[in-house]
Amino acid sequence: MAIVRSDELVKRYPKPGSKSETFLAVDEVSLEIEAGEIFGILGPNGAGKTTTLEMIEGLTDIDSGEAFIDGISVRGRPEMVKKIIGVQLQANEYFDHLTLHDLLSLFSRLFGRQDDPATLLARVNLEEKADAKPAALSGGQKQRFSIASALVNDPKVLFLDEPTTGLDPQAKRNIWRLIEELNEAGVTIVLTTHNMEEAEHLCGRLAIMDHGRIIEQGSPQDLIMKHAPEPPEARLHGNLEDVFLKLTGHALRE
Amino acid sequence: MNSTLAMARTLLKIFSRDRQAIFFTLFFPITFMAIFGFINTGDEDPIEIGIVDNAENELSAAFIDNLSANQLFSITVDSEDALREGVTEGDIALTLILPEGFDSSSAQSDLTMLVDAAQARQTQMLRPVVEQALLDIERNLRNSEPLFSLTVSDVQARSQRYIDFLVPGLLALTIMQISVAGSGYNIVEYRRKGILKRLFVTPIRPGQFIGGLVLARLAITVSQVAFLLGVAVLLLEVPVVGNLVELLLLILLGSSIFLSLGFWMGSIAKTQQSIMLLGNLITLPQMFLSGVFFSVESMPAGLQAIAKLLPLTWLVSGVREVIVNGVSLFAQIPTLIALAVWLAIALTLAIRMFRWKEVAA
Repeated sequence: MAIVRSDELVKRYPKPGSKSETFLAVDEVSLEIEAGEIFGILGPNGAGKTTTLEMIEGLTDIDSGEAFIDGISVRGRPEMVKKIIGVQLQANEYFDHLTLHDLLSLFSRLFGRQDDPATLLARVNLEEKADAKPAALSGGQKQRFSIASALVNDPKVLFLDEPTTGLDPQAKRNIWRLIEELNEAGVTIVLTTHNMEEAEHLCGRLAIMDHGRIIEQGSPQDLIMKHAPEPPEARLHGNLEDVFLKLTGHALRE
Repeated sequence: MNSTLAMARTLLKIFSRDRQAIFFTLFFPITFMAIFGFINTGDEDPIEIGIVDNAENELSAAFIDNLSANQLFSITVDSEDALREGVTEGDIALTLILPEGFDSSSAQSDLTMLVDAAQARQTQMLRPVVEQALLDIERNLRNSEPLFSLTVSDVQARSQRYIDFLVPGLLALTIMQISVAGSGYNIVEYRRKGILKRLFVTPIRPGQFIGGLVLARLAITVSQVAFLLGVAVLLLEVPVVGNLVELLLLILLGSSIFLSLGFWMGSIAKTQQSIMLLGNLITLPQMFLSGVFFSVESMPAGLQAIAKLLPLTWLVSGVREVIVNGVSLFAQIPTLIALAVWLAIALTLAIRMFRWKEVAA
């Protein structure tokens, strides 16, 4: 049974500048994601990726359709669903004046748990930053903290909304490794991205969205064979990112 | 309940670390207290009184002695011109002119009192004292025992210190400002930064979040008001006549009204700028019309009618009656009714307008 399922999810928003007209931000999106997968939702900005995720997570009202996590209806029991999922949002701001330790301990308590934040911070390699404030972190550290805060409840499914947008290549690869480790530890991962390389590197299966609809689904390999079967010109050399990483090394900068 | 308490604890932690917020909630009332409390210590320095002695006889000397004996006054005898200038410049509170015919023979002597009309309050305070001095002398001259022995005790003068009037007003004002800022401004900021959405990724329910925020804000308001009242009592010797438990009830009631109004404002305003504007629109008129700095009764009738509609007016008068006059809160029926009506209005507005999903989005 799919651990994440959505049936014809629809979200309408008022058209900007018009009171009566609406547009379909999400248009009958159906997904089935199996336990243990890394599933990617790919698409340009404004395609409806974030809205789709937020409906499945119970953060945004579902206008029509249904979503289930581990068989639990998101519309019917949103609080049950929230207990078994971890959500990393695009926005990375937190309460002022609180340290990473304070924030994780708050999130933990809101799940009715009393876990030691240090363990979680160690999991994302931030144990030394326990007393720092999020504003003092580098981009990659912020993203790792954000993932840590999505892990406070030991979720079965982890939703990541553009986890590497805006990061330098070192930090990006560091996040990829973290995602792979979490997945190997048994967490199902659903992520959005508009980075093709990321999708190809991480995801076992992909859905490509545009204008609120899923226009294609499948494994990266299948999609490539179906839509771009001709081999590209033989790759005689690496690309600029290879150059960049060769010159600046793989070590994480922060 | 656990989520509510976790939320309240966190918000209190944030506030206790936010030196800027603590400074600004206390800065304004403390400044006003300092200006009107420490600088205006006129009741301790003797009041300067000038006397122009045109009579220069035994009786005028006795009169001057009589006034000089009073430690409240410092007497200067000089020419009319010099003393008139003193009054104008504010060095001298008032000047008494004893006429040439100031003696026991003539039927009646007219004394003239030179005052600065702007100092009307001080003049009102001094006048009975001067009259008393005249009466004493008259009785001595006529060798008559007073028909009634009335000791003029100084009740008015004590409660008339401006700082005693001002402090309860400032406390009520502080309650309003901490509460509106705590709910309205914070909600808009948390929403804008995506913090609300981050919280609602966890199973916390909107009611638990609001509950935690209200608990934290009530605790903050009570502690800030207690601190200000402590300063007023210890450093400015503002007398607290009334019941402190009733004062606490008033603080909680007033804070609840303004927290609710803040939630309502926070759900209308989408940006930091618009909440500031809306906040000023609602708090500034109350600051000046609600009797914080001067009594509502001293305003024109039209403004008084408006003032009676404002929640802060009733909170100010409730706090002032309890602190200054020791009137029980439960004896202030109109105040209780007005505050209850406002609580109902504010809660209704807050609950009706508060669309949670929109707020978090």
